[in-house]
Order: sequence, then C-alpha cells, then structure tokens
Amino acid sequence: MTDLSAPAILLVDDEPTLREPLAEYLTGQGFVVTEAESAAQARARLDEQGFALALVDIMMPGEDGLSLCRHLIEARDLPTILLTARGEATDRIVGLEIGADDYVTKPFEPRELVARIRSVLRRATRAPGDDTDETCAYHFDGWTLDPTRQRLIDPEGVLVDITGADFRLLKALLDHPGQVLDRDRLLDFVQGREQHMFDRAVDNQVSRLRRKMARNGDEQLIQTIRGGGYRLAAEVRRVECEA
Amino acid sequence: MRRLLPSSLLGQVLLSIALALFAAQAFNAVLLYRGMIERQQNASANALAFRLLAPERRGSELELPPELREPRRGPGMRGRGLRLERSESDPVRAADVRLPAIEARLRDILRLQGYAPAQIAVVRRAIDDDPRALRFFTARARRQGEDIPDTLVLAAVRNDAAGDWRIARVAEGPRTGRRAIGGIVFQTLVLTLVLFGVLWLVLRRITRPLAALTARTRSFAAAPREAELLAPSGPDDVRELIEAHNALEARIVALLDEKDVMLGAIGHDLKTPLAALRVRIEGVEDKTRRTKMAAGIAELDRMLDDILSLARIGRPQDEPEMLDLAPLATGVVEEYEDRGRPVTLVDADKAVGRFRATWVRRALRNLVDNALRYGGAARVSLRREGDNAVLIVSDDGPGIPAERIAAMMEPFRRGEKSRNRATGGSGLGLTLSRAIAEQHGGTLCLANRDGGGLDAVLRLPL
Repeated sequence: MTDLSAPAILLVDDEPTLREPLAEYLTGQGFVVTEAESAAQARARLDEQGFALALVDIMMPGEDGLSLCRHLIEARDLPTILLTARGEATDRIVGLEIGADDYVTKPFEPRELVARIRSVLRRATRAPGDDTDETCAYHFDGWTLDPTRQRLIDPEGVLVDITGADFRLLKALLDHPGQVLDRDRLLDFVQGREQHMFDRAVDNQVSRLRRKMARNGDEQLIQTIRGGGYRLAAEVRRVECEA
Repeated sequence: MRRLLPSSLLGQVLLSIALALFAAQAFNAVLLYRGMIERQQNASANALAFRLLAPERRGSELELPPELREPRRGPGMRGRGLRLERSESDPVRAADVRLPAIEARLRDILRLQGYAPAQIAVVRRAIDDDPRALRFFTARARRQGEDIPDTLVLAAVRNDAAGDWRIARVAEGPRTGRRAIGGIVFQTLVLTLVLFGVLWLVLRRITRPLAALTARTRSFAAAPREAELLAPSGPDDVRELIEAHNALEARIVALLDEKDVMLGAIGHDLKTPLAALRVRIEGVEDKTRRTKMAAGIAELDRMLDDILSLARIGRPQDEPEMLDLAPLATGVVEEYEDRGRPVTLVDADKAVGRFRATWVRRALRNLVDNALRYGGAARVSLRREGDNAVLIVSDDGPGIPAERIAAMMEPFRRGEKSRNRATGGSGLGLTLSRAIAEQHGGTLCLANRDGGGLDAVLRLPL
C-alpha cells in the first residue's frame, strides 16, 4: 500500500505549465506525485497503483474534473481535492456536494495547498469508519449548520455569516457534543487554511464565534471549562444525507 | 387639462369613441329636431288651411284634397274644432309671436286651392290671452278629458285691405322637441355603453398581452435570465410583437451566456498560468523577493476577480437570502485582523435583510481595502437606520476633493494620478461596490468628514 511518510498523490491537470512545477513542488514537500493530463489517463494510473489522495482540476477537455471526482469518491473511495480557476460559490458547492474533501481556487498558495492535503490525509487516516461528511445538517438549540455549504442558520431562519475558522471550530464542537475539547485538539480542527495559530488563537476564535452567535437572553452555547477547554452545551441532532 | 386625458390605450380609444359618438348623435339630434319642427309647422298650416277653407268650400264648391281633410277622430269625439271667427279689426296683438314659416306654408296651401287672400298673418298666442279659445278648450277638456293646450296658432286672412278678417285657431301640438332630445341622449348612452362593453372586450385582448409584455420586459431588464418565455396571445399584431420580443430575449440571454462562457474561459486561461507562476515562486531563495512576487500575483488575482465580478454582477448566480449583516461585517474585520491590518469594528447592530452574502462581503472588502490604501487604517461600523442597514467604512486619509467624488465611482479611477501603481488596486473597487449596492437596491456615497478623512457609506434596504 502507500507509505505514510511519503503519501502517493495523483495530480490531474491538463495544463503542463501548472502541473509540472506543482508536481515538482509537492515532491519537494515529501509527496510521491504521479501526473495525469486527462481523466482517462488518471483512470489508467489508478489501475496501476494505489494513491492516498487525488488533486483534480475541474476544467479539463474531455471528461471533466467533477465527473472524475465523482468516480474517485464513489468507486475508489479516494480522498479528493478539487482545483479550479473559478471562485464562484456555486462551483464550490457542486464540488463539495459530490463529495470532494476540499476545494482550492487558482492561484493558490502552494503552502496552503500542502496544509490542506495534510489535513485531508489526516482526516482520512484518523477516522475511516466515522465519516462525518455524511452529515447533511446539524440541529442544535434551534440552530442549523449545513456542513457542505458551511452555512449557519439561526433559530429565526436568518443566515449567520461565519468564516472558515468559525465553521471548523463549530463543526468540531458539534461532532463531539457534550465533550470537553482541549485547546490542542481544537487547534487541530480549526487550523485549516490559517497556518500560524497558537493556543491563544483558539480562545480568540471561540470568542469570535460566540460574538456572531450571540443572541439576547441566551446562555452561552459554547462553555469554557476551567483548565480544560471548551464544550458545546446543547443537544445535537444530525441529519444524514440521503443517498 | 393634459392630466385629465387618459394615457392608456384603452382609455384613449374609449374616449375617442365616446367623442365621435357624441358628435354623430348631436348632428343626428339637430336633424331630427329640424324635421320635427317642420312636421309640426306643416300640421299647423294644414289644420289652419282646413278651417279657413271649410266655409269657403260651401260657398265656392271647392273640393278639399284628402291630405287637407281633418284627421279622423276616435268614437264619441266631435270632429269640429274651434269655429272660424270674423272680425273687422286686426286680430294680431302685441304679445303674439309671428310665425312667418307657417305663414308662408299656409299661403302656399291656400294658393294651391285657388284662394289668394290679400293679407295673411299667422301668430302663436298663449291660450290664456285668448278667452274664446280658452273657453272652447276648457269645455272640450271637460267633455273629452283632453289636456288644455298651452298655446294656439292663430291665422287671420282677409281678401282685401278693407275687408273683414277671418280668423282660424288651432291648438299647437305639444313641444315634443325636448322629449325627442331626451330620447337621443338616452339612445346615445345606451350605444356608448354597448360600444364600451364590446370595445373593452376587444381591447382587453390587446392590452392584456401588452401589459404582460411590459411586466416581462421590466423584470427582464432588471434581471435577464432564462425564464419561461411569454406565450404569444392576442391579435396578430400583438402576437408578433411578443414573438419578436421573445426572439430578442433569447438573443440577449444567448449573448450573456456567451459572455459568461468567455469570462469563465478568460478566468481559467489567466488563472492557471498565474497559479503556475505562484508555484514557481516557491523556488526563489530570497524571502523578501519571494514575498514581493507573491504579493504581485495576489494583486493580479484580485484585479482579475474584480473584473470578472463586475462583468457578472448583472446576473448573479445566487439568490438573496435572509442574512444578518452583523456577523458578516464582523467576519470581514476579523480577516484583516488576522493579517495584522489596522481594521477595527466600531458598531455592529443586528441588521437582517435579504442579501447576497458573497457580494456584500466583496463590497465591504473593497471599501476597507480602499480605506487602508489611502487612509492607512479603517474603521467599520454597521448601524440600523430605519429600514436601512448603513455600513460605514471610515479612514483618516486626505479624503477626496469634492468635485472628484463622482468621478471616483467610474471604472478604473484611482485617487491620485501619482499614486496609480504604487498604491495598486484595479481601480474597479468603488465601481464594483456601488454596483453591488445597486444590485441590492441600495446606494454607495463617499463623503469627506469635517475633521478630515473619508466616509464610504454603503446603504442597503432591509
């Protein structure tokens, strides 16, 4: 199988000007990169060897990236990150809805891409059975969180705009209802795109999320546990995605 | 006056029909009235001739033509009218009204019968001024239950200037003119109503599709999208108009689609090499050079995004939804805080309305970027003012000369010419922010503060 210290990555992009330097860069970052210039070639490579993750460009001639992505996820159960030139929200949603693990918009910061690859790999190796991405909605204390679209709806049906870090923090708390999560674990979850976060950053992120979710006369949903960490004080009901 | 005239097709057609109808009916009424007067005059002249000739006939053995015979009366009625009177003095009085038309007619009739009196006078006289007639008609009214006429027509003739006057009297028929006019008015009203009803039904077949077309055009102008096309209906003219409009709409949608595809392609074709460049930069050893190059690429990327957004703003792909602007503004400020930029949040009132989150966020970011670029630091405040959410981004920079504020909203304008490239920015930031404000039915204003500094005020209706 794959070597955990040097994960095998399948890079699918029709544009050699991007594919070649990116492969070079990722190799330098300790990945074993196999290139493919089309969906057809990618399928052939997949038959030859196993991969830990696929990086797929959406816009390609012939079979497009979304279709390949669907195949990778459904047939091969391979973690996939989509690369796209378009930043439109609808593209992102379509990508995430068909099950892509993450989504990167060109031009991306190579370091950020590496951080995301690592984060997706971590998730994939840590909990193969406990696949939280199957959850379509979390309901808690009147609130609703849609993890695919990263949308938080308050008890009155109003969209509360949250940042990526807010979302990851909240989702971590929702995935562990009633449990106390210490700062280190939360940092693991929250540290997505932002790379230089410290313990204080978790406290800061919690207070930011609290401010956005603050409602008149509400008790604190996110409780501070002295000397421990944070806990979500609400019953969480998950709605599974319909197949 | 102009304001009172109907402006709609239906109103104008109905008004012109009504006017034409009234004109025609008025002309009709005049003709009818004149015919009636003539008939009455003829009847009076005939009756007078009959009376004048009746004694003459006995004497001169004249045969009356049938049209001069008195009309037959119903059973139990005495066929004789008021007797002929003979008088030596002129019977015409000061209060009498001469009736020259009847006089002329009477003269003609008498001449036809071979009788040409030297003098003829025909007058109208009120019944009350004529005791003889009053007595007769009162008696007849009592006997036969007829109404006493108001006026009578009196004809006096004499054969030579010194002879006796022979005087005949007939009751003047009721003045039916008014009743006839009433009939015409009634007829006109009925005709108008019937015409209005029919025309309304016909015109509605025209105006309803037209109204639908207007509504459709308006909504298409506001947000051109491929919705169900308007089904052609109504008369051929309107049907063809709708078909032509549908073709136009299809053409516009096709053009917009083409534009979107083209923009997507441009975005893709420019962003992929940009991404390649960004990856290659990682190989540069010198950290400061690398950072500068990365910043340059980030700048290019933002410009590209601004251009693509501005091109797409008329056709947003997402629907507005109920959104609280407070967390949004907070989140935008946090992004800058995380990057160590001097952006602070002053107020964040709860402001819930229908917005497109991605677009409002972009508008706010552009304003903050501007404030940072020209003022060094930015303060963001969100307040609720009545039915508006007011987002104010303030800086302490030099502001903008008042006469140039309007020009600043135009695409590719930058604050100072000398700062063009050094300060960066696509020059689309304000244009895009204003377009986003307008997309939400709001406004964007720039205002210099008294103490110095600039306020960018984004006002969005809730």
